[in-house]
Amino acid sequence: MNVTTRLLALMTVFAPISLLSFGGGQSTIPEMQRQAVAVHGWLTDAQFADVYAISRAAPGPSTLIVALIGWQVSGFFGALVATLAIFVPSSILMYAASAWWQRNEGSALRKAIEQGLAPVAVGLVFAGAVIVLDAAHAGVLALVTTAAVVILQSATNISTYATVGVVAGSYLILFAVSRYLT
Amino acid sequence: MPTAPSSKICRHRAMLPEASAAVPARVGLSQLLATFVRLGTMTFGGGVQSWIHREVVQRLGWINDKSFLSGMTVAQILPGANPVNMALYVGLHLRGGVGAAVAVFGMLIPAFCTTLLLGALYRSYGHLAAVHFVLAGMAAAGVGATLTMGIKVARRLPRNLVTALIAVTVFVLVGVLRWPMIPVVVVMVPLSIALAFVAERKSEAVS
Repeated sequence: MNVTTRLLALMTVFAPISLLSFGGGQSTIPEMQRQAVAVHGWLTDAQFADVYAISRAAPGPSTLIVALIGWQVSGFFGALVATLAIFVPSSILMYAASAWWQRNEGSALRKAIEQGLAPVAVGLVFAGAVIVLDAAHAGVLALVTTAAVVILQSATNISTYATVGVVAGSYLILFAVSRYLT
Repeated sequence: MPTAPSSKICRHRAMLPEASAAVPARVGLSQLLATFVRLGTMTFGGGVQSWIHREVVQRLGWINDKSFLSGMTVAQILPGANPVNMALYVGLHLRGGVGAAVAVFGMLIPAFCTTLLLGALYRSYGHLAAVHFVLAGMAAAGVGATLTMGIKVARRLPRNLVTALIAVTVFVLVGVLRWPMIPVVVVMVPLSIALAFVAERKSEAVS
């Protein structure tokens, strides 16, 4: 496959996801995993889990996972094209719709859109969680970590970056200790 | 998802002395860019919306509280990452289409560069067992953060059978059966909106 074909593939995969990314970046994880691993074979499941982890630790919207997938496919321009493909279509929609949105404050249709989108987004967010755990071949340790984070974040105001940082540090210590013991 | 506006973080710009003078001057594109690059860097700490609010509403007085909150609802409902949509909204409000593009570019560029830098480190050191082990922990933590957000949103959903069925159906089709997201969303979103519309009409007829 030449460069143009690969860049086009990135565009045709991410642009439709952009237009349907209701509920922010997390709802798009299932489709990104399916396309990048199962459909196109750009990454292995383990690599997908790794770039997911990096995208959660990096600043900015976690949708930027597409830059990492894009880089894997076609270097810097792959990253650039994938990033444009995920942000430009949704931005154009936002640009076009925000005026309508403000004119129709209190309309029944606007309320229905707000209410109707929420359960779909919730379903997608939970699907994304299952898919990442599965791609990472999560064992007992990973599941315990996930549960601990849910409890910690529900009980306190700790930010996601701090949480991910604490977990990374703990895992590093755990790794060093287990190497030392064996 | 719409969140209740927090009155604590929101002060009307008219309350600030420097903003009470006549019509504020037109905001320069370079100033807009600089502000959003700075905000894009701050997103490292999370809580992006409140950072944007602090800068754009309270400190600079570029946009009033009511417009900001209304924009926040659109940014959350429409597709796209919330901070990016919010940058677009503010840029559009100040300088039209060009302003929107500049604000979005500024918001994304620090995160884009950092992500690529981390990606480069991963390509150099990703083969080490320790790196893979730590990343597995970070992925598990990321999933935990996602689940926490999902649970919060789920608890705010209206408690009725139709809403629950839609959420569970989407979850099972995409998460368990691994159907492609696009056809599922294309069918479920209009269906869900139509059902919400009918329910809305019914409750209006009653009241």
